[in-house]
Amino acid sequence: MSKKNKAETLNIITNQVDTLNIIKGEDTWEPVGPTPLPQLPDLRNWSMRLLKTYKPFYAPFCDLCCNCTYGKCDLTSGKKGACGIDIATHQARWVLMQCCMGLACHGAHGRHLIDHLIEKYGEDYKIDLGMQVDVEAPIIRTVMGLKPETLGDLRTAVEYVERGLIHLVSSTHTGQEGNNLDFENKALHAGMLDHVALELTDIAQIVGYGYPTSIADTPLVELGWGAIDKTKPVVLAIGHNAASVNSMIDYLRDNDLEDKVEVCGICCTAHDVARYSDKAKIVGHLGKQLFFIRCGIADVVMTDEQCVRPDVPEEARKAGAALIATSDKISYGLEDVTEKEIDEIVRLVSEEKRQVLILNPEKAGAVAAKVAVVLAPNRKKGFIDTEAAIELAKDCIACDLCSQACPNMLSIGKAIKQFAANDIAMLSETFKRCFTCGKCEQKCPQSIPIVKIMQAVATKERYNVRSGRGPIHDVEIRQVGSPIVLGTIPGIVAFVGCSNYPKGDEEVADMMDEFARRKYIVCASGCAAMAAGMVKDKEGKTIWEKFPPGFEAGGVLNVGSCVANSHIVGAAIKVANIFAKLPGRANYECIADYIINRVGACGVAWGAYSQKALAIGTGCNRWGIPVVLGPHSAKYRRLYLSRKEEDDWNIMDGRTEKMTEEYVEPAPEHLAIVIESKERAMVSIAKYCIRRNDTPVGRQIKLNHYIALHKKYIGEGLPDDLHLFIRKPTDVPMFFKREVMEYLKEIDWKPRQQVGLPTLINTYPTKANIADIK
Amino acid sequence: MKPYWDVNILTGTKTARIIEDPVQFAGLIKKATRPLYILGPDTVDRKIGDKLFLKYCLDLAKAGNLPICATAHVQKKMEEFGVQPNSSYDIIEIVNHLKDPEWQGVNKEGNHDLIVFSGVRCDLAERGLATLKHFAPHLKTMALCRFSHPNADFALPVIRKDEKWQEYFASLIANLIGDR
Amino acid sequence: MEFKIAIGPQFEGERIRKDDLFIEFGGPKVKAKAELATIKKMDEVEHGKIEIIGPDIKDLAEGGSYPLGLIVEVAGTELDPDMEPVFERRIHQYCNYIEGFVHMAQRNDIWLRISKDAVKQGLTSLDEIGKVLIYLYTSELPIIERVAVTFITDAQKVENFLPSALDVYKARDERVRGLTEEAVDEFYGCTLCQSFAPTHVCIVTPERVSLCGAISWFDGRAASKIDPYGPQFVVEKGELLDTEKIVYSGVNEVVAERSMGTNDTFCLHSLFDHPHTSCGCFESIAFYIPEVDGIGILPRDFEGASVIGIPFSTMAGELSGGKQVEGYVGMGVEYLRSPKFLQGDGGLRRVVWMPKKVKERVKDSIPPEIFDKIATEEDVNDVDALAEFLARVEHPVMAGEFS
Ligand code: SF4
Ligand code: SF4
Ligand code: SF4
Ligand code: SF4
Repeated sequence: MSKKNKAETLNIITNQVDTLNIIKGEDTWEPVGPTPLPQLPDLRNWSMRLLKTYKPFYAPFCDLCCNCTYGKCDLTSGKKGACGIDIATHQARWVLMQCCMGLACHGAHGRHLIDHLIEKYGEDYKIDLGMQVDVEAPIIRTVMGLKPETLGDLRTAVEYVERGLIHLVSSTHTGQEGNNLDFENKALHAGMLDHVALELTDIAQIVGYGYPTSIADTPLVELGWGAIDKTKPVVLAIGHNAASVNSMIDYLRDNDLEDKVEVCGICCTAHDVARYSDKAKIVGHLGKQLFFIRCGIADVVMTDEQCVRPDVPEEARKAGAALIATSDKISYGLEDVTEKEIDEIVRLVSEEKRQVLILNPEKAGAVAAKVAVVLAPNRKKGFIDTEAAIELAKDCIACDLCSQACPNMLSIGKAIKQFAANDIAMLSETFKRCFTCGKCEQKCPQSIPIVKIMQAVATKERYNVRSGRGPIHDVEIRQVGSPIVLGTIPGIVAFVGCSNYPKGDEEVADMMDEFARRKYIVCASGCAAMAAGMVKDKEGKTIWEKFPPGFEAGGVLNVGSCVANSHIVGAAIKVANIFAKLPGRANYECIADYIINRVGACGVAWGAYSQKALAIGTGCNRWGIPVVLGPHSAKYRRLYLSRKEEDDWNIMDGRTEKMTEEYVEPAPEHLAIVIESKERAMVSIAKYCIRRNDTPVGRQIKLNHYIALHKKYIGEGLPDDLHLFIRKPTDVPMFFKREVMEYLKEIDWKPRQQVGLPTLINTYPTKANIADIK
Repeated sequence: MKPYWDVNILTGTKTARIIEDPVQFAGLIKKATRPLYILGPDTVDRKIGDKLFLKYCLDLAKAGNLPICATAHVQKKMEEFGVQPNSSYDIIEIVNHLKDPEWQGVNKEGNHDLIVFSGVRCDLAERGLATLKHFAPHLKTMALCRFSHPNADFALPVIRKDEKWQEYFASLIANLIGDR
Repeated sequence: MEFKIAIGPQFEGERIRKDDLFIEFGGPKVKAKAELATIKKMDEVEHGKIEIIGPDIKDLAEGGSYPLGLIVEVAGTELDPDMEPVFERRIHQYCNYIEGFVHMAQRNDIWLRISKDAVKQGLTSLDEIGKVLIYLYTSELPIIERVAVTFITDAQKVENFLPSALDVYKARDERVRGLTEEAVDEFYGCTLCQSFAPTHVCIVTPERVSLCGAISWFDGRAASKIDPYGPQFVVEKGELLDTEKIVYSGVNEVVAERSMGTNDTFCLHSLFDHPHTSCGCFESIAFYIPEVDGIGILPRDFEGASVIGIPFSTMAGELSGGKQVEGYVGMGVEYLRSPKFLQGDGGLRRVVWMPKKVKERVKDSIPPEIFDKIATEEDVNDVDALAEFLARVEHPVMAGEFS
């Protein structure tokens, strides 16, 4: 071990001791709750309590296991593997592995940013999220019991995550954990740590780069490939870690080039650079990577980390664009030129056409800018025209091999054939649902460049998205407190995650519009926020122009990139901690219990594809936030479902501390569910915003939307489980009073008492204190 | 046999019996005591020839007297044709119920012994069928889908031509009528 | 639903742009306009009757502004005249549930707009609106047994109706003014917020609106009758135990019972000794500033720091959650107008700071002699400056009036 390394190691160890001191020490911002720095056993009972109601549902994607050299093992029909594992446990193990991957990505991302920023500003650099945000890190406070005040504190948080991760991964080894529920507890734990990682990462970048925070009305960013000015040198950043592209912005600013170089991004790095510079643009979500690289508009492609295609070097080369990789997580086998002089690297890249790896963000940023300026004047770029595209399509022999290969099951073969015959409508529609993955092309016996042909049908319009705003303000939480109580806000719906949509971007925009019009608070982040901006209404407005940007009834907000999802969860925690003043410090169970019983929030990850999305979703589940997934997500192979009529819904009435005796409504009905169509999803989302603690007016308004959406999308009559959610006649929405009262009479419904203070605390062995929730 | 969609290629050993002959398919349905017909949204989104997929399915349900579970937003279209489904769960929810041998079924007469799928989005149907294959040994599954489903107990071969598909349906319906 | 037009809460807050407007009733261009809800005897109201006196929507030229008198007559054995204003506000609420129909303002200032789309969908007659109103009145408020609605659109007849409406408004205002805590036997309580702050109880009196600002004594009275088991309920005020800070025995009993014994005394008009609890959704905070021995007012929508350097979010953190916190109390902004406003602590004379917007809003309730003595964010930004300001203007706190 080198001297430097040794010193660092010692440092880490001292830091661990410090961590414990921070949590257990004299620091008195709030008394320390029952579970500081929770490890696996600490919240296991909470997990098991959730899993009792929301049982894991497995849909094996593969019947075999090939984890170790005993395998392959066939696990069908009750058979066990050579190691003794059964199919359910193996699924759970698989899910845990995937959650760990997601967690590792966010953790390593945060680690990189924090180390980088500490190097720049020192570990005592203060965290300040502005006047409107007092509770700066609701997740870290609640989970760890730590109130982070400096970058150094954030490093403490990431160390906690790192330690937990090793533990979790170890249990996935053959011959370790042997019970599916215990694997699920670990997956839930991984999800929880993931949220810590999300939060510390976004806070780090907000304070490190001075992203706007404490304002709701952030600017609109231009969106879409049509918005990119190809007459300028263009740098395209792909990935999730904006360190390098932000450094490039610094370089451009210092050299008075900000107006002369077009900076754009794909995926979350785009959101973040747009928070840093109001001139940066967003090409779109991750689904359009290949499409955009191939159209050659980018002179330089700069990759960082996560959700970047492995074939970017090859594709960039084909398109004649330079490639600079900037992360040790994606090094592409390239030469590491970090130690070389900037001008030398520029020469290597622009003259020798070398693709390089530069691990210093400042250097990478400067090189990218310089190379773009050198290369751009000599490059031809842009979309092919329709005639040329039709010419290319004419070789199609209608074999349909391409369609069969399509992961979204699109009839691409038919669309190409029709396009060749000058009928562009079907291809236009197909493109909207296409992830430009290129699978179809690989199968084509005629080598038809399908993704390239799509350039001809891609809209060239300019769209927009509101730039990421970061945390929800403490005052906003207070403002919505009363409307939530008085029932004018029926819920918080968060559209998050990737763009693996079954039927294109429009579905997300439609759903967001429906809920915003119904005065839900609609949040978005990451690729979903971009997808929502890719649709305009009759007046030519995107959803971002149509609705107010605040955390309020009918507000539509973009919190930012995927790591900013932490702020949506943070808002739910803040409702408990700020509005209701529930002690939050190291008090995970009480806060989660509060959320599951009272905060009508529902996550929607309509196009979730990544392991990160799985980790985020699973983290939400542990907080008691239900998540609705689109059809592709069945391939995650695990959901958490209840059965509303069969299951035992009895809970504790916190006032009397007695178990309930009458039927209690199944709310929220599921914690993780896949829904097949957006129509059904909307009806279900409305239902999943119902909470046991709703006031009568609140319940009325929620049921009103549930019924109205049901009638709009499912059928004439009333939902067949409506009666389960009606406690007393005062819960019946006035708009449907006559019909509902008749129905209740018909089925011989009886009123029941509303549970005074519904809680799960003390329905299972716990250290959590029921007095906290009173 | 390889299903039409690559995403549905089976990685496993237990695969569907392909029923080429609609008479045989009808026979299997007839043998069931408590069958359930699950209809997914492709029945509303796709046509066979000029006629909506759903129409064929409803005719089949009528001929075989099969109770229907309408998933997604299929009910809306069914109502336009004047038919009410026996239940409305989404696909994952109904599969979750079916896993439980004690469940009483959509007609509260006991769990079903044969499940027929039509028009569920193919990749999702395959996942649901996998769940039932592994966790519902008490029932049999059938994919009445032209794209073929290896995770079902009984499936069709890939049927590329509309006419062939129409013929298959016609024969199936003819062989079910009046028997239940 | 049985209506030609769509209704639902999602249409509340809709706007009708100029190009989409079909016609409007009332508004700034029209003099004769008014709405009135009146309670009648059972046999005086023919349930479901809708009368249109004058031209109907379909008879009126597009783009025009027309007079309107809107009368809702209700009857029910449990109704009492104090509920009239509550029912009248419902006209506004219900009208706004209709797609393509917007209702603004109240009384003789009403302004109703109908969009072209709504007319296309079938809103060609006021009869449709009448039907919706009747449906909603009876389904939301079961104590209303009979409803009849009259629309007057004939200009002359609206003119004739107007004076009688003005008389009713005037009488009602007088009733409000005369309504004091001493003059009534019942206060009302609200525990809606217990869903978030389990020990919080709001006590609403004729001189103390709820913290959220949404529930006045009249609202409480109506709501407690409409649903006797609902979240708003009657509080028999009992005996006056303390005349200065205003403590009632009945209030204390209810508070003790409903807060599960956590609190047992409420001083209704003081922030020092057993103040009213604060839930989490209060519109504003009254807070004590020890350096000057005065009281500041901080509303929720005030951006930036208060005069003592902390913003609303931080201060609200101090007092929310259904606890009694000395020196702070959450309150509805309208409480500033109450003659009993923090009477135990010196009332408005003790107030030394409030944002300009609030000051303007309650201007007519602040005694003119102290109006200029209350600092705003435009005058001072910290406590030192505040002290100087107060000394300069000779604010009563400086004269030691309260020490
Ligand atoms: S981990 Fe177990 S089931 Fe998997 S291959 Fe090894 S022995 Fe077989
Ligand atoms: S590029 Fe588009 S059409 Fe082709 S396989 Fe991928 S998703 Fe399907
Ligand atoms: S694989 Fe190629 S030739 Fe075959 S249908 Fe598709 S595009 Fe045409
Ligand atoms: S603040 Fe308003 S809603 Fe809350 S308890 Fe008081 S009166 Fe009721």
